[in-house]
Amino acid sequence: MATCTYTVPDKNASGDNFYGGVICNQAYVDYFWNTYGFSGNKVYWDDGWGWDDCCNTNKPLARAFNGCYALTYSAQDYLNDSYSSAILNWGRRYVRENIDDLRSFCGDGSAIARAKGGGLVEVYLGFFYTKDVPGRAETLIHEARHQGGKPHNANFPTGSTFGSGKSGADSTWDYEGAWMYGALYLWWYYAAGARTTSALRERARQRGNVVIDNAFATHPGFSI
Amino acid sequence: MVDRKSSDTPFLGGPDTLEAKVVEHPFSFAGSRDRELNALVVEAVNRMGGSGEHAEDRYQRALAPLRERAGEVVDVVFAEYEAQPEESYLDRWSLVYLLSELRDPGAVQPLNRIITTRIPAEKAKESHDTSTVTEEVMIRTTAVEGLVRLSAEGVEEARKVLLRHAKHQRLSIRRACVQGLMETGEDADRKELRALLKERGDEGLLRIKRIDVREAPQAIGGRFVVSPDVKREPPPHDLGREGED
Repeated sequence: MATCTYTVPDKNASGDNFYGGVICNQAYVDYFWNTYGFSGNKVYWDDGWGWDDCCNTNKPLARAFNGCYALTYSAQDYLNDSYSSAILNWGRRYVRENIDDLRSFCGDGSAIARAKGGGLVEVYLGFFYTKDVPGRAETLIHEARHQGGKPHNANFPTGSTFGSGKSGADSTWDYEGAWMYGALYLWWYYAAGARTTSALRERARQRGNVVIDNAFATHPGFSI
Repeated sequence: MVDRKSSDTPFLGGPDTLEAKVVEHPFSFAGSRDRELNALVVEAVNRMGGSGEHAEDRYQRALAPLRERAGEVVDVVFAEYEAQPEESYLDRWSLVYLLSELRDPGAVQPLNRIITTRIPAEKAKESHDTSTVTEEVMIRTTAVEGLVRLSAEGVEEARKVLLRHAKHQRLSIRRACVQGLMETGEDADRKELRALLKERGDEGLLRIKRIDVREAPQAIGGRFVVSPDVKREPPPHDLGREGED
């Protein structure tokens, strides 16, 4: 058991102020709690994490719900989650089908989230407080891809921002690993994200490009 | 880790606890006594994160008064950027993006300084999914985007800075400069850029193309299909207090 503290700006560009105004509705709370792996894990979202204050976006649970809202509703036609559509549509379905348990921890600062196998994903302080709202959706997709059976299979290339030669990269775009899923989601969010701003879409583009440039052993040869 | 599906199972491990401290906004404005302008900056940055059908309109409305005073806003925003703690990556990014959004030629030198500033050593060396160097590079590629916008509007100084950073140590910054200059520069800029890349043996950057997401290889997500009978649809997207955004 660890105890952690964090200073949260009420007004910044994370998106929590505005997504937070939307998610404060029992229908969303019910849907997110029962769809994205919170159910059965109350103890991990209590004690300051927001279970008893789930509309308060200073606390992690509401910020996780914000990410779930972006994940669920960022496609204009969000009711279509067919796998023949774009990942912006079916990302929510992929997360739903691959993450059974979503649990929060302080973490040690060395990770945003971790897929632990068996459908369990842990999310740490950085998930709530350093990621913007769409970035949390991207993280859920990234970790869901690990749960879907795709570990990282290569070392980061020379000069990578993630660390030259370190393990944790994907070999290629066509490997369809967690980095590809995350970057592709951000790419679609930039191109077609609904109910958001040009600023958050541009931020998705910038992050997606840095991932494309640095997280594949072989550069895909394109950018956003 | 104890596997736990039932909320009433005795739990020996004990969960983590968190205490969140709230501040109104992340900025100090130590160098700006213009409270009205400071409030406009806070509002514009806040509106960057808008959500809902009118989020973009409201963000643009927040930008408008800042663009009218862009000359002085550039100085305030850049001073605030420099005053931010290094680890406030999102807040630093939002200020850089605001500089970019002002589309003021006076932003060229601040953006240049942001790109030029040395990238601090990685603070998350043991991680593969979080990287402070990556955050720093994102801040700088966003500064490049600001220069590209100014270049597109004919600001020659912006083109010169893009050319200078086309030999940056970091691939993403070089790539962004090269793509931006090829797209918005004049023929002479492109010629000079090609010569630079050839001299450095970095012509491969010219082969990295900006493409539409619809042209990119897509992921195949359907490992299995959930029967429509068991699939539960989400509620409509607009049940919440959207009118307040």
